[in-house]
Amino acid sequence: MKRMLLTKKRLKKGLKGWLSALPFILPGLILVSVFILYPMIFTIQISLSDYRIVTGEITPVGLLNYKNVLFETKEFWYAYRNNFLYAIVTVPLIIFGGLIFSYLVNNLKKGQTFFKVGFYLPVITSWVIVSLVFKYMFGNSNTGMINYLLVDVFHILDDYVPWLYRQWTGNGAIWLMGIWKNMGWAMLIFLASLQGIPKELYESASIDGAGIWNKFRYITISAVKPTIYFVMVNMIIGAFNVFIQVMLLTSGNPNGTTTVLQYLLYNRAFSKFEFGEASAIGLISAVTIVVLTIILNRTFLLDQNRNGE
Amino acid sequence: MMEKNQYQKFKTRNTFTQIFIWSFLLIALFIFSIPFLIMIASSFEEFSYVLPYPPKIFPTSLDFSAYTYVLTQHNFLTALKNSVINTSITVVIAVFISSLSAYGFSRIEFPGREVLFGVYLFTLMMPGFLNIIPQFIVLKNITFIPGLSHGLVGSRLGLILIYTATSICGHTFFLRGFFKSVPMALSESVVVDGGGHFSIFFRIILPLSKPAIGTMSIFALQGFWEEYFTAKVLVGANESMITLPLLLQRLNGEHATRWEWVFAASILALIPIIILFMIFQKKLVIGGLTQGAVKE
Repeated sequence: MKRMLLTKKRLKKGLKGWLSALPFILPGLILVSVFILYPMIFTIQISLSDYRIVTGEITPVGLLNYKNVLFETKEFWYAYRNNFLYAIVTVPLIIFGGLIFSYLVNNLKKGQTFFKVGFYLPVITSWVIVSLVFKYMFGNSNTGMINYLLVDVFHILDDYVPWLYRQWTGNGAIWLMGIWKNMGWAMLIFLASLQGIPKELYESASIDGAGIWNKFRYITISAVKPTIYFVMVNMIIGAFNVFIQVMLLTSGNPNGTTTVLQYLLYNRAFSKFEFGEASAIGLISAVTIVVLTIILNRTFLLDQNRNGE
Repeated sequence: MMEKNQYQKFKTRNTFTQIFIWSFLLIALFIFSIPFLIMIASSFEEFSYVLPYPPKIFPTSLDFSAYTYVLTQHNFLTALKNSVINTSITVVIAVFISSLSAYGFSRIEFPGREVLFGVYLFTLMMPGFLNIIPQFIVLKNITFIPGLSHGLVGSRLGLILIYTATSICGHTFFLRGFFKSVPMALSESVVVDGGGHFSIFFRIILPLSKPAIGTMSIFALQGFWEEYFTAKVLVGANESMITLPLLLQRLNGEHATRWEWVFAASILALIPIIILFMIFQKKLVIGGLTQGAVKE
C-alpha cells in the first residue's frame, strides 16, 4: 500500500517534471526527431532495400547493398583507407602546429591579435574557396604555383607534375589543405586554454632557470592535455567528414584512389541514384566513428586515471 | 647592484626572445597566407582564358573588371541575398531553440532526462552527411504547407529547417555546460518573487550567458555561411535559391575556368565573415567551449 503510494507520488513528480520541461525542450525535440532521429532509422531501412526515389518504392533486399559496397568495387576500401590516412597524417600535425603557434603567440607582448586573426583566416574561409585556391596552386602545368616554383624557379624537378591526377600527390594535396585549414582552429582553442594557466607558474619556472622549451614541456603541455584531447576527438571525427576538398581537387581520381567515404556516398546517391548503397556507406562510416570515439574515450580516461594516481 | 644587473640581463634576454618569436611568427604567417595572396593577386588580373605566367603572389596591376563582372553577372546578388537571409534566420532560430533546450536539460529535473540527452550526444557522433538522403525524402513529403505543393525540397524553409535541426544537438550540448555554471542561488531570487522557469530563463540565464551565446552564434554563423553539401543537395537545382558557396563552385565549373572571376567572387564572399570575426574576436569566450565539453 505504502509502496503504491510512493510510486504514485513518483509518477506524479515525474509528470510534473515533464510538464515544466516540455515548453523548453519540445521545439528542439520535434526538429531533432523529424530531421535527425527518424532519418537515422530510415537510413537503416534504405540500406537494406532497393529504394526508388521517384516512385517511393522500397523493396527489401537484405544485405545486398552492403555486399555490393564492400566487395563489388575497390572504391569503398580506397575511401575507407583514405579517411583513416587523412586522420593519421593531419591530426598530429594540426595539434603539433596549433600548440607551437598558440604557445608562441601567447608569449608575445605585442601583436597577439594580429597573429591570432592571421592564423585563423583559413578557418573562417569556406572550404569551397580554399579548395579552389589549392586547385589553382596545384595546377598541372607551369601556371600552377607549385610546379612553377619546383621546376622553373628552383629546378628541383625536371618536368611539371600533374599533382591532382596521381594517387599520392593528390592525397598529399588534400592532406596539406586539411592541415592548413584547421591549424588555426587548434591554435585558437589552445590559446584559450593557455590563457587559463596562472602566470606565476611560468615566472617561478623562469627564476629556477627553465628555458622556453622546458617551460613548454612541463607546464604548457600538462596544462592543456584535456584540450588536446578535445581537439583530437573533434579533428578525428572531422576527418570522416572530408568532402568538398576531394570533390573539388581530385574528384576521387585516378580510379577512386583519392576518394573518401562522404564523396563516395554523395556520388552513389546523387549521380548514380543508388540510395541503398549510399546509405550502407553512411552507416558503415557511422559505426566506425562510434567505435573510434569509444576507443579514444577509453584510452584517454585510462591515461587520466593513471596521471591522477 | 647585482640584483639590477641580473634584472637587466633578464630583460635583454626577454627582448631578444620577443624579437625571435615575432620574426618566426611573421615568416610562418607569410607562408600561411600564400593561398590568400595568390587569390588577391589573381583577382586583379585580366586573364582572358590564359593563366598568367609566372603565377603571382603580389598584384602587378589593379584591374577591377573581375569584381565588376561578378557583381553584375552570375546571380551574385541573388546568392548573396540568399546567404545573408538563410544564415541570419537560421542562427537566430537555432540559437534560441537550443538555448531553450539547454535550459530544460540543465535546470529542470524530469525522468529520462539523461537518457534523452545521451541520445542527443549520440547523434553528434554521426557523420553529418549520413542523414541527407532521408532528410531529402522527408522534405519532399512535407506537402501540406500552402504554396509549396511539391514539398520543401528546393525551398528556403526546407534548408533552414534542416540547418536548424542539425545544429540543435551540438548547441544544446555546449550551452548546457554554460547554463550549469550559473549559480542556482541567482534563480532562487526569481522564484521568491513568484517567477517560474520562463522568468529565470529570460531574466537570469540568458543575460548572464550572453558571451557564451554570442560566441556560439558567431561560430554557427560562419558554419552556415560556408555550408555547401546540404545546400547543394536541397536547393542546388533551384536557380533562385542558390547560395554563395554554390555559386563559387559553379563559377569554377563553367567552361574554361576564369580564375579571376572565381577569386573575385571568393574575396567578396569572404569579406563579411572576416569583418565579423575581427569585430568580435576579442569578445569570444573560447575557453568555455572546450570546458563544457571536457568536463562531461
